[in-house]
Amino acid sequence: MTSSPSTPTPSSHRAASFRLRHLCAPRAGRAAAMVQLGSRLLRGRGGHVIIRFALGGCTNRPFFRIVAANSRRARDGKYLEQLGCLDPLPNAHGEKVAGLNLERLRYWLGCGAQLSRPAEKLLGLAGFLPLHPMTVTGAERLRRRRQREQQTEAAPADGSAETDTGTGTGTAP
Amino acid sequence: MTGLDLHKVFRPEKKGLKPPHYKLMTEAQLEEATRKAIEEAKTKLIMPPVLNEREPIDDVLAEDKILEGTETAKYVFTDLSYSIPHRERFIVVREPNGVLRKATWEERDRMIQIFFPKEGRRVIPPTLFKDEKLGTVFQQDRHEDVLNMCIAQFEPDSPDYIRVHHRTYEDIEKHGKYDLLRSTRHFGGMVWYLLSRKKADGLLIDMINRDLLDDATSLITLYHMLHPECQSAKKAKEQKLQGVDLIKVFVKTESQREGYIQLALQAYEEAMATSSAS
Repeated sequence: MTSSPSTPTPSSHRAASFRLRHLCAPRAGRAAAMVQLGSRLLRGRGGHVIIRFALGGCTNRPFFRIVAANSRRARDGKYLEQLGCLDPLPNAHGEKVAGLNLERLRYWLGCGAQLSRPAEKLLGLAGFLPLHPMTVTGAERLRRRRQREQQTEAAPADGSAETDTGTGTGTAP
Repeated sequence: MTGLDLHKVFRPEKKGLKPPHYKLMTEAQLEEATRKAIEEAKTKLIMPPVLNEREPIDDVLAEDKILEGTETAKYVFTDLSYSIPHRERFIVVREPNGVLRKATWEERDRMIQIFFPKEGRRVIPPTLFKDEKLGTVFQQDRHEDVLNMCIAQFEPDSPDYIRVHHRTYEDIEKHGKYDLLRSTRHFGGMVWYLLSRKKADGLLIDMINRDLLDDATSLITLYHMLHPECQSAKKAKEQKLQGVDLIKVFVKTESQREGYIQLALQAYEEAMATSSAS
């Protein structure tokens, strides 16, 4: 946001509050900046601590940071504490590396933080929490879909084998 | 026995060029400085630990057959809590077939180096430590550098550490280059290796040739402490031998290269006789 002119123009609440912040306390001390919440967060009440993934990295190269943040913050915005990281692409040894600061995670969970669904699934895979039911459901759905695909591939393969016996190689299942 | 050669311990490492720094000292200050240097050298010469090879980790925490086929790659989870010693850190692996197991030692070392990097250590060990490449380095007489790099890279109880050290000691023993490690912190490890395999003859000859009789006697006493049931140990205990006699008893009973050692001892005694006569 560029710095505003001195005359206040009638505009939306958000723009006014931004300008007000810039005019009144442009480079205030760290304590003042910490206490000041963004206007989206200042609605009187609401907002809770949530442990979720913040996406970073470059094009076609994602990297997640496991982060404890206010639920109303932007996904990649200011967070309270970083609790770990996850690299979703496998490395040279075929591993997806994830680090979790379990000590601090336990602290935030003790403070009453919520978890996002992907964070819950990851912790279930790690063994810190029990396995998430959606992981199980997802696995079962995948298995059923693969079975169905195999059956549909097998059926036309049999059908095509019966009809054209002489023509080249059939589709391999 | 490691020897305290200040010139070798504090020999200049290849760093940036700086003009030499001269200090004007009295005799007392010089003695003080030498004493401090000796103490520093002693800390530098502390032997690194010699441990047995570690047992492979093979612990399954959970088996969830339901997850089989969902993932293509395994997940490695590391506990990043700051105040836990690295040995007690939880590092678990979730395989694509749904098994949740503890990570192997190699995986553990790699993950700990990724998240808590240590200076001088690489995530993937350098190719220098492969058996074929070690030969080239040994030809250049750089055993000490290899061992220093090995200490920085591997844990003392990892099989790679032990393998590199054994290879180095074998090579030194084969070519008789014992002096390369004298006055370094690796000398103790080498002596331990040779004595536990009863290959100390070459070292003994080297010591006698350099007129290090005290070291030779300490070597034999250490040998007797390691193998108390051997003949020379029993004789030494009965007759309470000291000095050259101890070596002679050892030579007669235990050593393989008797002739060489006898020759070396003779040469030493002649040298002593001529020096004392003149």
